[in-house]
Amino acid sequence: MKSPSVFLAILLILPAFARAADVAELWRERLKSVVAVEFFTETELDRRLSFAFATVVDDQGTIILPAAAISGRATPAQLKDFRIYRPGEPASNFSVGEYLGQDLYTGWHFLRIEEKGRAGLVPVTAFAGATATAPLIAEEIFGIGLRKKDEDFAPYFLTGRVAIVQTIPQRTAVTTLEIASPGLPVFTRDGVFAGLGTAGFGQSYVMFSERTRGGQGVVLVNSDECAAFLLADEILPHLGRIPTNVLGRPAPWLGANGLEPVDPEVAKFLKLESRAGLVVSEVLEGSPAEKAGMKERDILLEVDGVPLPRLKPDGAVVGHVEREIDRRAPGEVMKVGVLRGSERVTLDVVLEDSPPSPREVERKYFEQLGLTVRAFTYADGVNRRVKVADHAGVIAHFVKPSTALTTAGLRTDDWIKEIDGQEIKTFQDAAAKLAAIEQDTAKTEYVLLASRGGETAVLRVKLK
Amino acid sequence: MLSTVRSIALRALFLLLGLAAVTPLTAAASRGFNQLLDAVVRIDVREVAFEDGSRRFTGGVGSGVILDAEGLILTNAHVASPRAVEISVTLANLERVGATLVGWDHWTDLALLRLDLDEIKRRGLKFSHAKFGDSDRLSPGQTVFAVGTPHGLTRTVTRGIISNNRRYFEDNTGVRGYETGSFNTWLQTDAAINPGNSGGPLVNEKGDVVGINSRGYVGADNLGFAIPANTARRIVGELTRAGTVTRSYIGLVPGVLRDLENFYSLELNTGMLINSVDPGSPAARAGLRGGDILLAINGNKVDGRFPEQLPPIQNQIASQPVGSALRLSVKRGTQTADYEVVTEQLVSRVGEEWALDKWGLSVRKVSRTYARENQLPDDTGVLVIGVQPGFPAAVAGLSRGDIITKINDTPVASLESVKTAHAAYETAPAAVLVEARRNFRVSLYVVKP
Repeated sequence: MKSPSVFLAILLILPAFARAADVAELWRERLKSVVAVEFFTETELDRRLSFAFATVVDDQGTIILPAAAISGRATPAQLKDFRIYRPGEPASNFSVGEYLGQDLYTGWHFLRIEEKGRAGLVPVTAFAGATATAPLIAEEIFGIGLRKKDEDFAPYFLTGRVAIVQTIPQRTAVTTLEIASPGLPVFTRDGVFAGLGTAGFGQSYVMFSERTRGGQGVVLVNSDECAAFLLADEILPHLGRIPTNVLGRPAPWLGANGLEPVDPEVAKFLKLESRAGLVVSEVLEGSPAEKAGMKERDILLEVDGVPLPRLKPDGAVVGHVEREIDRRAPGEVMKVGVLRGSERVTLDVVLEDSPPSPREVERKYFEQLGLTVRAFTYADGVNRRVKVADHAGVIAHFVKPSTALTTAGLRTDDWIKEIDGQEIKTFQDAAAKLAAIEQDTAKTEYVLLASRGGETAVLRVKLK
Repeated sequence: MLSTVRSIALRALFLLLGLAAVTPLTAAASRGFNQLLDAVVRIDVREVAFEDGSRRFTGGVGSGVILDAEGLILTNAHVASPRAVEISVTLANLERVGATLVGWDHWTDLALLRLDLDEIKRRGLKFSHAKFGDSDRLSPGQTVFAVGTPHGLTRTVTRGIISNNRRYFEDNTGVRGYETGSFNTWLQTDAAINPGNSGGPLVNEKGDVVGINSRGYVGADNLGFAIPANTARRIVGELTRAGTVTRSYIGLVPGVLRDLENFYSLELNTGMLINSVDPGSPAARAGLRGGDILLAINGNKVDGRFPEQLPPIQNQIASQPVGSALRLSVKRGTQTADYEVVTEQLVSRVGEEWALDKWGLSVRKVSRTYARENQLPDDTGVLVIGVQPGFPAAVAGLSRGDIITKINDTPVASLESVKTAHAAYETAPAAVLVEARRNFRVSLYVVKP
């Protein structure tokens, strides 16, 4: 009586073994699409080492890193010595990478591996399915994790099942377990490219301590592995968006600031039925939105005649509109439908290239003074509530700690309006003045007029 | 902000209001001193608080000193404020009598009460009163006594000396969130003063009131501060006459000139540095700006070399009638020019507060000063200072720090307009659309039953 059940068990287990072997093979083959990246961020005082993982996207040695891999404050010029490592190979074998820039729409940083380092790499597109299909709930997904440099970035296998697929605003699947290191590809059981692992999904825990009574809620984020991935159809169509310059220009700009979603109760009150809407907190001076006649407190309802999707959480709609802007080019017309009071208005906004950002403008470090100044940008004006006509002076981008400047009271991000009683109009004014101070060995002090939070102060900086 | 003058570590100062510990009296008591002891009272205050999205009551204990036969009592503004709903005074003979608030002035941390004389007469009670001494004639090292109710221990006398007769400190939130110390310097004493001494007198050996004890440093030994009698005398006059102290404002943020005379090519002890000019203020409209040097006000030279010298200059401006034109002589670079600045009334950053019980929301009117400091376009709106969890405002998503700018289609121009909307909701609860801003982001909320 026993043998049938044993036989049955063998029948069930055997194919599973066979398939597990297949998965291992599929996984091993797909390791050729991933690399580890090392680079330095050089600032006035530091040379910071960072690591990230990248996916190979073509046969020209192009790889992509997730947006979060590189700090948004770092300028391209500060990023140095990109080195590319293969999973599991001795860390002494590396090739050199070139930073190509960040694509605004996808957020990816693009790099290119030097020619001699490209051998044996397989673009992830080689594993793309014939048609893009969304993963099913409970579908098994596997992916690649990479260890740290001291372990030669050894690859390891990760697997989990799809728990939910959401649009936030990119189509994202959350999995039951961690399925990849951030930025690395994941695959279906058959080895078809399913998407890229995306970090930032935290899990809520309650932490109990022996000393304090009751639990304390904490959110833990696993920064080494992700339990979520962007679906393949959010990836594959955009792999060609290789920036033509390191700054990722052009950067389309609307100029409607502080888009705040209306919650379902407010939508119902405003008789917007079940539509999504965004309150425009501020229309920026001189922006395309202002030129098109957008007003503060307009409620944005449509883009190009298409109602904004109802995404959950409500805030995901903001990301949707940002992507609607980012996927266009300056000069393109975006038709924006808004609710103004009880009136529906359609505006034809001609998008423009955005004003230079703080990381793009001129800056200079005065080592003797311990101060980096940079040009005053449009964004500085917005943050400080300063009209364009009053844009002047420079921003203290970096103030060296424990120096005469910090004693005098200057802090990073203060707005320097005068140096030694001379009004500073441009970056060049400031640079010339500071260079002269630095060179004047007889000088014992200098005086700054600096502004913070709308209030100014005279700061006396001792040189000796 | 940047000004070191303003950012002195004043946050560490505690208000001397509260309740437990004694130091014995060991002074040879003169007749005047005995009379003074009979003029010092304990003050119990019950007051309304609006902080948590509802109207609640709190209580506190402080000290005070009777000034005249009419029953005027001087105490601290942080002991008795307009929020007081019940003030009870314990006389030196331990009898309790009711009192009412005549007026308060948080800038100098002083408040004036009046004893219920009808009750005094009816019950045949007697009290003594104190007299002011000249605080300008105090010198460091001189013996003084603090009399009051530390930690609820009535009629406690402690002894010390004047440690410093011209201490400068300003605190932007020093009197229960209200500004203090811009217009006066303080007496510093090592006479033990503790929470509860607030509002009690600092007296000399003759029993003359030379100061009103107000605050001390937390965690320090015997660093106490008192408002000088000469300041108090002036404020008492104003409060008695008008029930309030009206001051002029022009929008200058002063700084000290020490070490900067060379840079500005100034003689020593000449002028006051203008660190900043409040945007939109009378001084800004007149064309003054940060980095200017104020040389004279209406021809009277000013000297703001050290921090201690700034409050008198500020007071000189504040003492002008509201709307008067001041002639400010100002040096900018090598040029000196006169600017005419017309003063406006000084207002606190703390506006009037109210609780909208049905919504579970407590609010404070955005004042002109608050709006300027926070770079708001104008003083429209009320600031949310508390929400009660589970009540309609909290459920809608409003939270502390939001500024409600519009309710349904009505901009919030005054506290009254919010009260009106809330009253309508009270009689007929219906959904209300609320527009609020937080860090310049505008959001909509539906507050509903």
